[in-house]
Amino acid sequence: MSDLNTVTAAEAPGGQPNVPHGRVKRDKPRSLAGDAWNDLRKRKMFWVAIVMVAAILVMAIFPTLFTSADPSQCALSNQFKGPAGNALFGYDFQGCDIYAKVVNGAWNSIKVGVLSTLLSGVIGLLFGLAAGYFGGWVDAILSRFVDIMLGVPFLLAGIVLSRRLGGDPKSDGVLAVTLTLGLLSWTSGARVMRSAVISAKQQDYVAAARMLGATPGRLMLRHILPNSIASYIVLLTLLLGINISSEATLSFLGVGLKNGAISWGIMISEGTQFARSEPWPLVWPALFLGVTVLAFIMLGDAVRDAFDPKLR
Amino acid sequence: MFRYIVRRLLQMVLTFFGATFLVYALMFANQKDPIQALVGERPVSESQRIALTERYHLDEGFFMQYWYYMKGVLTGDFGTSMTGRKIYDMMSDAWPVTFRLAIIAIVIAAAFSVTAGVYSAIKRGGIFDNSTLLITLVLLAMPIVVIAPLAQLIFGIQLGWFAPTATRDATFYQLLLPAIVLACIVIAPEMRVTRTSVVENLRADYVRTARAKGLTRMRVIWVHVLRNSLIPVVTLIGVDLGGLLAGAIVTEHVFNIPGVGFNLARAINTEDGPLVVGFVSILVILFLFINLLVDLLYAALDPRIRYE
Amino acid sequence: MPGKTPWKMAAGATAIALLAAGCGGGGSDDSSSTSNTVVIGIGEPQHLIPSNATESNGAEVLASLFYPLVDFDAQNNPNPVAAESITPDKANTVWTIKLKSGFTFSNGEPVTSDNYINAWNYGAYGPNAQGASYFFDKIKGYADLQSKDPDGEEGPQKAPEPKAKTLTGLAKVDDTTFTVTLSAPFAGWESVMGYTAFFPLPKAAWKSDGVIADGFEDAIIGNGPFKLKGKWEHDSQLVVEKVADFKGTAPKVDGITWKIYQDQQAEYADLVANNVDVQTTIPIESLAKASADLGDRFKKSPNSTFQFVGFPTFQKEYQNVDVRRAISMAINRQEITDQIFLGSQSPATSFVSPVVAGYRANTCGENCEYNPTKAKELYEAAKGPKEIKITYNVDGNHKAWVDATCNQIKASLGINCVGGEEPKFADLLTKVEKHQPVGLIRLGWIMDYPLMENYLGPLYSTDGSSNYYGYSNATFDNLVKEGSAAATPEEAIKKWQAAEDILAKEMPVIPLRNGQNVFGYSEKVSNVTLDLFSKVDIYKIEVVS
Repeated sequence: MSDLNTVTAAEAPGGQPNVPHGRVKRDKPRSLAGDAWNDLRKRKMFWVAIVMVAAILVMAIFPTLFTSADPSQCALSNQFKGPAGNALFGYDFQGCDIYAKVVNGAWNSIKVGVLSTLLSGVIGLLFGLAAGYFGGWVDAILSRFVDIMLGVPFLLAGIVLSRRLGGDPKSDGVLAVTLTLGLLSWTSGARVMRSAVISAKQQDYVAAARMLGATPGRLMLRHILPNSIASYIVLLTLLLGINISSEATLSFLGVGLKNGAISWGIMISEGTQFARSEPWPLVWPALFLGVTVLAFIMLGDAVRDAFDPKLR
Repeated sequence: MFRYIVRRLLQMVLTFFGATFLVYALMFANQKDPIQALVGERPVSESQRIALTERYHLDEGFFMQYWYYMKGVLTGDFGTSMTGRKIYDMMSDAWPVTFRLAIIAIVIAAAFSVTAGVYSAIKRGGIFDNSTLLITLVLLAMPIVVIAPLAQLIFGIQLGWFAPTATRDATFYQLLLPAIVLACIVIAPEMRVTRTSVVENLRADYVRTARAKGLTRMRVIWVHVLRNSLIPVVTLIGVDLGGLLAGAIVTEHVFNIPGVGFNLARAINTEDGPLVVGFVSILVILFLFINLLVDLLYAALDPRIRYE
Repeated sequence: MPGKTPWKMAAGATAIALLAAGCGGGGSDDSSSTSNTVVIGIGEPQHLIPSNATESNGAEVLASLFYPLVDFDAQNNPNPVAAESITPDKANTVWTIKLKSGFTFSNGEPVTSDNYINAWNYGAYGPNAQGASYFFDKIKGYADLQSKDPDGEEGPQKAPEPKAKTLTGLAKVDDTTFTVTLSAPFAGWESVMGYTAFFPLPKAAWKSDGVIADGFEDAIIGNGPFKLKGKWEHDSQLVVEKVADFKGTAPKVDGITWKIYQDQQAEYADLVANNVDVQTTIPIESLAKASADLGDRFKKSPNSTFQFVGFPTFQKEYQNVDVRRAISMAINRQEITDQIFLGSQSPATSFVSPVVAGYRANTCGENCEYNPTKAKELYEAAKGPKEIKITYNVDGNHKAWVDATCNQIKASLGINCVGGEEPKFADLLTKVEKHQPVGLIRLGWIMDYPLMENYLGPLYSTDGSSNYYGYSNATFDNLVKEGSAAATPEEAIKKWQAAEDILAKEMPVIPLRNGQNVFGYSEKVSNVTLDLFSKVDIYKIEVVS
């Protein structure tokens, strides 16, 4: 949703990476990334996050390692039954095995979340870089466009876009939802990137590099981008969680995943219906979604702390 | 300063037209069969179809429809919804309650996230910091379609602390629960921003100076650090209004509040183009003015920022 | 700069904001908790002009504001109410309606034949785009009030004005008598006139001939036992109060507040908290707790809803009747009504609703009985498709039962079955019209008047208004028409039953469920009953003293 819009546009002024100047030019430069990696390796939180993300990815890609049950075989006679045998988490309203569904739903949820976040990350990056670096009329046009995008209600744009993109009656809707979320959620990132670039651009080391004859492309890629990207990455990890749960909202409205596709989002919106008497069908997918988002945010935080020397 | 404001106002006009145009285009693209959507599952007779098509200019091209609409808006006439009601009337019914709801939500969110954010920044890495991080993550991961009915269920019905529903002329207390739910959407980012910002400022030289001068730690934090940390938070709070309205669509539905979000959702659902654009127009204007206000406030809070 | 005392500023701003937010509230609490009035929950009506009110919310409110020509007894036979008498000629073509004298609208105007004739002409006139216009299509001259776009919807030409503005079939005899001439004989006409669309409108309704005055709909005036107090408060409520000297049956309560809810679960929460007195539809999510929450104030009664799925005739794989029968037999209706609908609906085994005269249980026979073994044999012999889809609109709360039905089909037939989501019914229709492979189509029907014909005609006739799947059978069409033209209701029913038997053989649709009213009321009221249209009987409901 649009909650995060400009969140960290605000975060930017305070939290700018501010690399000490001396490091920029050396014979054998120790790159920022190299420094960050050295730092990261020592962080416990980083490794915990890595293990969590890895576990989730393994589950998403190889669900059969975790369960052999077919999540689409459901019988009403099992409705709301407690855990039994292989069905570790019990059964839902339709009598489906919740454990099998959670494990098998990971793939779609992660796919939608990661891909749409990547897409919006790339769009936002390009927009923010261009607007921040060139300034002037480029910035004016791009910024107006971002303003306009922010003025459009997410729900409306989401419904229209995914309806348009998801016209194929046979598809499961993953592509349509991914594109929709990606195309709609980049605005906050673009704003953050823009202000980060603007403040990086004013740093002395950039001026120095420019005077030494660096081309705009090199300036952007080698100097401005690495120093502006930290807060951007954090934003994207937040966005990932939001996108995974936005998929639920779209599916809830009938423009999301369809034709029998399974995802945590769909499970959550189904589980809400009877949460009053039977909370478990809601709790399990919500828990997995929460842990996944947490893992990615922890990863993002660790990376950002490593990249931001001020916080070391 | 004056030139800056004029320039911003001109930009706002541009953005306003851009956004309404885009929304209109989206509604137009979304329009498969508004007449069928209007009557639900009942069959539509041909003459009914003809008459409604004519009445709402549905057979005209996109630009003509947009032209009819803008012509109306600029002369102060928001036109008629496809339900036959005057959009102006619908808006004057819907806006006040949503406005009150949003203000209560913003105040709650700001109060909570600033206090909690500052506290977890001071005790960075402590139990409070980690547990609030976890709570905000849970809020972030939960779609509002889950939070709203659960809150109503637990606090409204089972515990009975709050009224389960509110009406158009609800009291402050009736709006409290929906406002808290609404605040949940923005608490997570607001708190994180406050925390980051305070952490940054705690390391600033002026803090060391102030401490060296012999000021108490509490005074340094609550007076010096906070004032400087508030800038990004203020920006965020202002801008969050847009996010709140997105959340209001679900919240108002669950708590039976006939406000903007509810009207917007209904209008999107019934492909009621004029109604959607009407509400969105006001939303965009509000959004733009708040943004301007925030930027001006920004300059007021931070003497280093000057607009020209 | 103001920043010196940020906390004081913040506190001040907070106080002001909260104050501003809190203001304007209050004053809404009613003092009626002790008075003889009731609060009934509804959804926002779409329209209140009778000829435009096609859904139940509008119909409920109008039932309190207007006095109908006929109402229905326990056997669903029509009884004259505002009419003194309604008499057909021998051929069932010309109907003479004599009104009771002395009745007035709540603004004092006497009720005359003109009030009916003008309102009906308005409703039938095509360019007025009235939703219930099709109710008048049996009256002579209806076609002349409609216009046809000469070059289709997309074409540049505007539709011409219709030939006539008034129905030739309506004729005034005197102030309290008028005649209705039908274009074809129809024995059931008296029942049709029980519908909302046939209410009269007072002179005050008109700005000029055939044009409704601005603002009339929000302050509508009827000839019924209640009148609107103030205006229609959209999305909030409609308050009606008793008409002092009403000549007809007097209701037992002094007033009704029709409280408008956006969400049924919110309404249920209010019902349990005694903030609303009657909820006509308790949502499924709340049904499990309803008995515990409400005790014997939780009730069920039949209504006319009929839920089914249709087979698109344009998809080859469903053309074999054995495939259709097999799919029907693969569905365990009882299990779904018990576990998905928690008993709020009942299994359907016929092609019309049990509430109409002439209904016979189980006309579908073996085809609607759950028999997975036989279903599988049939299906395999007929070489049915390996994957089937049931397309539905997600805005109508159909996901749960469609998923459950699919799971049953999967288990019974050993094939794959998925639910196909469409955001809205209109999207579904668009796809059906384009002959896209939508699979089975989810459909439902609520009757307009209690006759078998109201199911057979619109749903299964070749030119039926809701026959989206394209079923066509000439013998069936003829039987329905003959039934409508029959001299007596008994003869009509015989023809209609013969027509229904054809459906049972051909299975163009799978009957699934019949609806029920599942309603509840607060401790404050008693004698709450709902009719077949899910309307509260406002004449019976009373306040417990």
